[in-house]
Amino acid sequence: MSIRILGVALFVIAALYTRQAGTYAVTFGDVLGPTVFPIILGIPMMLLSASLVVFPSGQVDWPAPQRIGRQLAALAVLVGYTITLEPLGFPLATFLLIALIGIILGGAPWRSLLLGVIMAPALWALFDQVLGLPLDFLGDLFVAH
Amino acid sequence: MEILSLLGQGFVVALSPLNIALLLMGCFVGTLLGALPGLGPVNGVAVLIPLTFAFGFNPTSSMILLSAVYFGCMYGGRISSILLNIPGDEPAIMTTLDGYPMAVQGQAANALAISGVASFIGATTAVIGLSLFAPILARAAIHFGPADYFALYILAFATIGGIAGVDPRKTLLSALIGLLLATVGLDPISGVPRYTFDSFHLYDGIEPIVALVGLFAISEILMLLEKSLKNRPKAIPVSSWLPQWGTIWRTRWAMLRGSGVGFVAGVLPGAGASLGSFMSYVAEKQTSNKKGTFGKGDPRGVAAPEAGNNAASGGALIPMLSLGVPGSGTTAVLLAMLISLNVQPGPLLFERQPDLVWGLVASLYMANITLLFLNLPMIGIFTRLMMTPTWALMPIVAAVTFVGVYGISNSVFDLKMMVFFGLVGYLLRKMDVSLVPLVLGLLLGGDMERNLRRAMSISDGDWSILIASPISVGLYIVTVAFLMLSVWLAVRDHRQAKSAPLTEE
Amino acid sequence: MILRTLTTAKLAAAMATAVTVTAAPVSANECIAPSNPGGGWDFTCRTIGRILTDLDLVDGNVQVTNMPGGVGAVTFAMVASERPDDAELIVATSTVGITQIAQGRYPAPLGSMRYLAMLGADVGVIAVDDDSPIQSLEELNAAMMEDPTALVTAGSSGAGGWDHIRLLMVADEAGVDDLSAVRWVQFDGGTDAVTQMMGGQIDVVSTDLGEIAGFVESGDIRVLAALSDDPIPAFPEIPTAASQGIDVTGYNWRGLYTGGDVSEEEYASWVERLETLYNSDAWQTAATESGLVPIWRGGDEFEAFVREQADVMEQISRDIGVIE
Repeated sequence: MSIRILGVALFVIAALYTRQAGTYAVTFGDVLGPTVFPIILGIPMMLLSASLVVFPSGQVDWPAPQRIGRQLAALAVLVGYTITLEPLGFPLATFLLIALIGIILGGAPWRSLLLGVIMAPALWALFDQVLGLPLDFLGDLFVAH
Repeated sequence: MEILSLLGQGFVVALSPLNIALLLMGCFVGTLLGALPGLGPVNGVAVLIPLTFAFGFNPTSSMILLSAVYFGCMYGGRISSILLNIPGDEPAIMTTLDGYPMAVQGQAANALAISGVASFIGATTAVIGLSLFAPILARAAIHFGPADYFALYILAFATIGGIAGVDPRKTLLSALIGLLLATVGLDPISGVPRYTFDSFHLYDGIEPIVALVGLFAISEILMLLEKSLKNRPKAIPVSSWLPQWGTIWRTRWAMLRGSGVGFVAGVLPGAGASLGSFMSYVAEKQTSNKKGTFGKGDPRGVAAPEAGNNAASGGALIPMLSLGVPGSGTTAVLLAMLISLNVQPGPLLFERQPDLVWGLVASLYMANITLLFLNLPMIGIFTRLMMTPTWALMPIVAAVTFVGVYGISNSVFDLKMMVFFGLVGYLLRKMDVSLVPLVLGLLLGGDMERNLRRAMSISDGDWSILIASPISVGLYIVTVAFLMLSVWLAVRDHRQAKSAPLTEE
Repeated sequence: MILRTLTTAKLAAAMATAVTVTAAPVSANECIAPSNPGGGWDFTCRTIGRILTDLDLVDGNVQVTNMPGGVGAVTFAMVASERPDDAELIVATSTVGITQIAQGRYPAPLGSMRYLAMLGADVGVIAVDDDSPIQSLEELNAAMMEDPTALVTAGSSGAGGWDHIRLLMVADEAGVDDLSAVRWVQFDGGTDAVTQMMGGQIDVVSTDLGEIAGFVESGDIRVLAALSDDPIPAFPEIPTAASQGIDVTGYNWRGLYTGGDVSEEEYASWVERLETLYNSDAWQTAATESGLVPIWRGGDEFEAFVREQADVMEQISRDIGVIE
């Protein structure tokens, strides 16, 4: 069933993609234009994904609901990091990321917190000070721009 | 002979105490940078160029330091490919196919050693090829026109079905998804934004490294969370801290074949190291996968792409130095490095500054030797990394991939994209869709389309230009022959499988 | 390793703010190259950043940030919306960027920035292979007059980009009617286009001289015309287009802008510092070595120049049919 859904999803993507390709106008001085290559890709993709719907192959074992919960928690932490990085600044946001992912992966909470406390400033020092790739030590919340 | 004496001089210049110290330091720093997922040779060298200015080294010393970092990064990229199933940079993706299964079977030390030795063999082949044929090959490469490049990419994608996975339809779909993603962004020919959803963040397209680390590193975390965390087997068993020389010796032909294929791919500007390692893997699988062990931890599946990748990097120096055309992302870095040292590559470089050219070749070669001797004793330390418990290792990997991407692009959008690719990568892996073709499609798709459109602009819309040159016709013949061979092998295996139970009865 | 006093100061200040939340941190000057490392904009930022530090015109280092996307559009949008008043920020731009703005490909209008100065320029050239039967610009124009589709032309910009427009300006001046019939092929760089021409795939290349100078010296290609007012010092034998009766110039200047809300004093201070940099031996050497002709235009003069060029570019793009 999962494979059939994958086939349907890819078919829909390919169909929308191909339809969208048709809207790109050929501009001045460009023979083939931006349209043709996407159509060349879209059509075989529609055929292949349709064949997956009709003749699916392989079995998928999805994890138990409780483990899906854990995966969603991890995804939430990762997305949360992308949102908090600039307001909180690098070391603080990274501390939260390392500690929380560590706990979700089954690490003892105090160990995970310790790991975050050590690694977040260490990574900041490595990138900002040693490699010269600038990372804000404090985020926008603490520093008025 | 003159070339040999020039190369000899290059080595003499390179072998001063300061330069040897720089070589060792560069290899060490490079290996470290490369092993961090998300940071590859492109960023590694770009980050260190200002450092060489700060210390005021002369051009030769700067070149030695940067070459060492460059090759160190390439080598370091393999470490995370093999140990974590997370490629450190683009050319390292092929190494995950057999390298990670080897590590899972306790063969991590062997895989790392093979990767080091194969890199060395590939680099040696490239240096020999460079010394003997550079001027001739540079002149030959210019006859490769847009239609011929298109034919080369057709060959690459026709053979992609053979690299991994059980269902070739899924492998092809994966490549098509990659090609689809490659068309996102501002079209460089017409200036039309495509599939950008009116977001300026997508105007420059999808950065392959963002997709790569998302697909491999983030999805790996999700895969790990599926397993039971309490009764987890104690990391991965390691049968030996030290490599076994017999295993390495058995891959010698794979290394040599991979070197040959990689070198040819490298000489063509625009093909580069990723295509070199991919073609070497496919060619090796086609010639020696008699027992179906490829993709399940066959040492030759590590040896061939590693040799091919390094031979291609060396081969790519030919168009870069003699024509000033960077073949790939990685040679573009070397080009930027030479320009920052006030060396202008071009047709006169070999005549005007032979000391610099051969100095560069000598320093690249020495970087390879140094890496071999620096890393073989360190294999034991690297393999012990696998003993690090998951709860400590993976959060750090996640943080490093985020900071590696953010430190270069300064874009939170790229980080969100990475998480998205992580989810997509997880779902595709669950459904047995190999991610390697997706990344290859994303890497090669842009050039494939541009060369098709260039050919059509040259012919003013006449499709027959695609089969007008002997080179493209030759490549199409190879493509058809390859596909027929694959079908024939599949049919033969199918018959054997059918007849086998009968004989047992 | 690099111990940057300024960043340490920033750290110290940041630590202080963590306690008091009042003190503003000291931050370093930054130059954004709206492209990947390697290439013209990146060169501008890295070279200018290095010389500004060497000459003590700034405190500490100038930090170079690469922010590629949309031929400069991503950086332009970011500065316009997030950092219009950041006087410590400078951004590299060039004729290529102004062409994009003039054709309406940036998300904000030209006037949302303050243009500081131009420090040098690359000269456009039109070249053919050394085996080509075409010996002069006159013969090239004659061939295009007779049949605009006869020759395949190429350069490093897309259709409607600066390399393409420069060539069409020459053809237009020569009297070629159907400009859209001229075949144009985009390559990723000037050297790519030249090597494809040497391989016989295309006939004519229009691009900047700097990147392909090596091929001119080696005699692999023949330059028919330089699109400059005066002959180029390094190649005095190359005739200008004007000297062959085609009054067209096509420079690709390299310069800098800063946010539109930067104060008058801070703007003037940048222009003054950049002028000092321009007059230094270090800049003159670095520019010449990378194939640029040092040219200075700064402050209000440069602002006026940029506006005029954008108007001209828009008009040309309209005339030859690139935009409607």
